Amino acid sequence: MHKSLRSLSQRDSNSTAALEMEQTELMKPETLEDLIKTLHKLFESDSVNVEEVQSIMESYKSKPHEWMKYATFDQYRYTRNLVDEGNGKFNLMILCWGEGHGSSIHDHTDSHCFLKLLQGQLKETLFDWPDRKLQAGMLQKSQQVLLENQCAYINDSLGLHRVENVSHTETAVSLHLYSPPFQTCRTFDQRTGHHKSAKMTFWSKFGKRTPYESTVSQENN
Amino acid sequence: SEQGGACSVLYLSRLHLDDLSLDHLTDSKRQQIQQLHLTYNRLSFLPNAVCFLSNLEYLDISNNALTVIPDDIMRLTNLKTFVAKNNLLDESSFPKEFERMQVETLNLSGNRFEDIPMQFLKMTTLQSLSLGGNRLKNIPAEIENLTSLEMLYLGGNLISSIPPEVANLTSLRYLVLCDNRIQSIPAQLNKLHSLLSLSLHNNLLTFLPREILSLVHLQELSLRGNPLVVRFIKDMTYDPPSLMELAGRTIKSQNLPFSSCDLPSNLIHYLNLASECPNPKCAGVYFDSCVRHIKFVDFCGKYRLPLMHYLCSPQCSSPCSSNPQSDSEEENSVPADRLQRVLLG
Repeated sequence: MHKSLRSLSQRDSNSTAALEMEQTELMKPETLEDLIKTLHKLFESDSVNVEEVQSIMESYKSKPHEWMKYATFDQYRYTRNLVDEGNGKFNLMILCWGEGHGSSIHDHTDSHCFLKLLQGQLKETLFDWPDRKLQAGMLQKSQQVLLENQCAYINDSLGLHRVENVSHTETAVSLHLYSPPFQTCRTFDQRTGHHKSAKMTFWSKFGKRTPYESTVSQENN
Repeated sequence: SEQGGACSVLYLSRLHLDDLSLDHLTDSKRQQIQQLHLTYNRLSFLPNAVCFLSNLEYLDISNNALTVIPDDIMRLTNLKTFVAKNNLLDESSFPKEFERMQVETLNLSGNRFEDIPMQFLKMTTLQSLSLGGNRLKNIPAEIENLTSLEMLYLGGNLISSIPPEVANLTSLRYLVLCDNRIQSIPAQLNKLHSLLSLSLHNNLLTFLPREILSLVHLQELSLRGNPLVVRFIKDMTYDPPSLMELAGRTIKSQNLPFSSCDLPSNLIHYLNLASECPNPKCAGVYFDSCVRHIKFVDFCGKYRLPLMHYLCSPQCSSPCSSNPQSDSEEENSVPADRLQRVLLG
């Protein structure tokens, strides 16, 4: 069983962690390109070490000039911008959130979901899967505010979530990794627990604009 | 960084500045500057030097400690975009003549405004106005003067109602009213034909006006965090219409002609207030006596939104209204036999 890595900022003060890092041949990614290369290595096998991926993603210190070309904002909704297709093992994308933009409550189609803040802050609200006897709507389980460079993790067994930029003055940019990649997910109506399938579309791929098929909202937000 | 030629940007953010002198620049260099970024400094006043950049088009002084904007700002006759988020500004901070500025984008989110200053409400060139995260208690009716407005961001304030005059902003594409205390949306909002996105999340809405369906270009509508009803129980109490109302209804539905010599002016005024019953099977009108009805409709990515409209009587019903299990319902698309079942109960 692979031991989880300690936070890389503690590397110098803890020789055990340093040794572990040598063994796994993983360096703290200095650039976004380094991060992508490291992620390719981490996802070579079919098993995913969640703590390791989360730690690596958290240790990349966001440098806007490295990801600016992927970060295009839409005035009315958050955008999804594909960065890398991970050799078919994962999708890496950057999401741009204007002031007040939020997602629906959604699942992750049996995949791992890693969410790292590159700029600004995002509020994540967790929900349980709705059961049939839903009386008063879906109640939130917990919420947290994710700060710059923090990386959160979720999968369907942990529940559902809604992600929002609650700021009225700042935009937010986040880096998402989904493994295996998926094209549709379920969006949930908070009042009733009713769900609907939503197709996930990209605003841009690899820095190039890819127009939507339809501009009408699929978000239940 | 400075670029020579057509567009010159001076980037002076995050430099711990508490003042600014541009004396080291030649006059011609100062004339070249079109964009100035002074964000995240320690400015408690707008440095005088800024007001003498006569060709300045874009000024961002967000994240400082400004309490007042000096009169000299009027010298910036080419200023198109003015951003001063996260400062200490309020409705008394701006010069009286500010309305004469030809500014198109004004972003003052994250300040201390309790009212929208009168000067702003006279700026007919304004295309984008942001006052998010302030302390606004209401939206003044004079907002309708901003006829060029395409974007109005008022999220994160203390607003409890929307004046119908907002509906006169016919160029409006994006209206943000999230994180306020709004209990109802005026039906007149359906006049906002250009509206592409409406943000209403985190308010006190229990239903929306049925008229929202006519916002055919709407691409985004946010409603999370509102106590929208899931079930509608018909009002059991009903005040029968007055004799005046019954007479008025007869006159209107029978199309009886009348003129100012037939009736006193107060009754003519009353007759002109008739509202048409939205039930297309009923050609009736109502005045004060009406019944509230809620229909659940899938709209704009949302499931079963409660849409409210008034009907002229409890016997009246809108088509496809009584089945609460029905999903998305189209206007006027109910087959006649189903309507008969509804009317017969």
